[in-house]
Amino acid sequence: MAKTGFCDSKPLLDLHKKADERRAPLRTWSNACGPIDRWQPVEESRMAPVKMEPEHRWERRLSAQTSEGIIMGFHEDSETRSVADGCVEEPLLLYPHGLQGLQSLQALVPSLLRLEVETALERLDLIWDRTYAWDMFLDMMITQTRHSFSNADLPRHFTDGTRSVLVDWLIQVHEMMHFQEETLYLAIHLLNRSVRQIKVTTVNLQLLGMVCLFLAAKKEECLLPEVSGLCYLMDHTYTKHQLLRMERKVLLGLKFDLSYCPPLNFLLLLSSIARCSAKVVWMARYLLELSLLEGQCVLVLPVQLAGAALCLSRQVLQEALTPEGEAAWCLASSVHVGSETALLRVMHILASAAAKAHTRETSATFNKFSSPETMHVSRHPGLKNAAGLIGVCT
Amino acid sequence: MLKKIHKRVCLILAMAHGTSIQYEPLAEIGGGAYGTVYKARDTESGQFVALKSVRVQTDQNGLPVSTVREVALLKRLEQFDHPNVVRLMDVCATQRSDQETKVTLVFEHVDQDLKTYLERAPAAGLSPDHIKDLMKQLLCGLAFLHSHRVMHRDLKPENILVTSQGQVKLADFGLARIYSCHMALTPVVVTLWYRPPEVLLQSSYATPVDIWSTGCIFAEMFRRKPLFCGESEVDQLGTIFEVIGLPPEDEWPTDVTLSRKHFPPLLPRPITDLVPEINEQGAQLLLKMLTFDPLKRISALNALEHPYFQDEETLT
Repeated sequence: MAKTGFCDSKPLLDLHKKADERRAPLRTWSNACGPIDRWQPVEESRMAPVKMEPEHRWERRLSAQTSEGIIMGFHEDSETRSVADGCVEEPLLLYPHGLQGLQSLQALVPSLLRLEVETALERLDLIWDRTYAWDMFLDMMITQTRHSFSNADLPRHFTDGTRSVLVDWLIQVHEMMHFQEETLYLAIHLLNRSVRQIKVTTVNLQLLGMVCLFLAAKKEECLLPEVSGLCYLMDHTYTKHQLLRMERKVLLGLKFDLSYCPPLNFLLLLSSIARCSAKVVWMARYLLELSLLEGQCVLVLPVQLAGAALCLSRQVLQEALTPEGEAAWCLASSVHVGSETALLRVMHILASAAAKAHTRETSATFNKFSSPETMHVSRHPGLKNAAGLIGVCT
Repeated sequence: MLKKIHKRVCLILAMAHGTSIQYEPLAEIGGGAYGTVYKARDTESGQFVALKSVRVQTDQNGLPVSTVREVALLKRLEQFDHPNVVRLMDVCATQRSDQETKVTLVFEHVDQDLKTYLERAPAAGLSPDHIKDLMKQLLCGLAFLHSHRVMHRDLKPENILVTSQGQVKLADFGLARIYSCHMALTPVVVTLWYRPPEVLLQSSYATPVDIWSTGCIFAEMFRRKPLFCGESEVDQLGTIFEVIGLPPEDEWPTDVTLSRKHFPPLLPRPITDLVPEINEQGAQLLLKMLTFDPLKRISALNALEHPYFQDEETLT
């Protein structure tokens, strides 16, 4: 989903001007500050009583198809299909089973979903030509299953803790550079892959992380930072020459394969189909970004991550439901569901990450999403016991 | 000569793969617009491959963005394993100096292209069914590229490969930008014959460019000689208008310098004058491909749905 054509003027990393604006944590990647309570609820009024029961519709739909691998089934079948072989039927996408009596409506669902997907992609400016919108969507679904990891294991010297500190640091660098959100997701994806693909010593992990961000920027951004600027951000621990050598190493290790469909694209697509409010979307974006810090999330398909983030966001915010909104949500959820257990497992990971985000050392995301522009979502009181919302099932 | 090439390529590839030489060069198979192409053998699998190398300028910021993006795009398309697109088997990059990196793309090797295929066809030419099959495959490959937002931009019989089983494979798509650094250094003669009016007029263009070229190739399959053989941009346009007629004023693009008045008012000629063997539906499809206005030109997907292809199914 490279949105590379857009030439908005993003400031280049200007070291002379910004030298004193740089944030301290950027300079030393092992952020030294300990857990601080940054918890300052901004919206007391939102402290609505927690409903232990998820929305009925949602639950019914989930229990109606407990079998694993809707997405997997989708994947297998679509893979063999060439773009041109005409009609794309979607028996593999789910029909809401609640509609079973309504033959005509059920028959309508695939085309309705297709129409909604096409409209949403157009609205999000992810496509150029509507003729190919559905293909683009199938493409997203297929692409996400490439490079899936068989386990969340990391090389011995690279612990989950180290990983999240590195990711947190990259999130800060990314924010400082004013890159697009997709670039961050791509960078972390490249990091996840390259750390398993190529041999890197512990001292070079930060360099590897930076190179992944640099390559992601080369793929997605119109304005690039100077290599010398990147070295400066790493306190000149590495030379420019080392950075460029690492770039080649990563490109060869990954065989130049930099394509990825970030969960963010699915999040935007699903929330657009589901007509989610801005606040629900911001909350889901926050939860989704937190997932980058969680090593085990590499096992989850982007569409499932997005679905879980959106689902949890809705539960946390407990916005008033409308029949239209529910119908739209129903349609949107037919895209992302894997299985009930898989979904709840991911929601659990996100909920516990959000509940402790403010006490963690790795708090770049928490801080980023506490700003007014992001509607202070990370400080929402509902997040404190988000796990409780879905607590009954594990 | 061969020995020299062998030595050079081996050296390059040895650098890319440590000490093991995975690709053993056999012959130089073409000096395409984008540099020399070698036929080689993959010593691991025994398969023949085509090696296309390009030297890219690397400044202090590493590999150029265009190279990173385009190679990544080719890799991405590769994942779909489309039957009508040539396989990209490997990519190597070696640093030659501080300023230069050599990127080698390893493609599957296919012996003949559509040009030689047409030349080698029996005296009676290709049968209508055979042409239909080739066209269908060509459009399938094109629809695939277009649905992934890739334009070929230089479609011609030379880069449409035909395997010994009659399978059509598109090659050289998306290379234009990877090779752009190199192209500036090479005097390139690029044929104009398959270029659509909007490119000749230097107006803005998009995926319909490939459909125009496909139309020219469609006609060429019957004629076994090119449809429009102009000698310059203006001459090429004149040749086109002699067949499709001078387009109306309101279809003439506004962002171009060349005026419509430059061309004599011409009426369209029946396309069957030029392509007598084509059937009625084929002629209809051909005209939809050779439509002046790119917005009115048929898309690859719609072309595949055209009755020209459908009657084949009803017959069988």
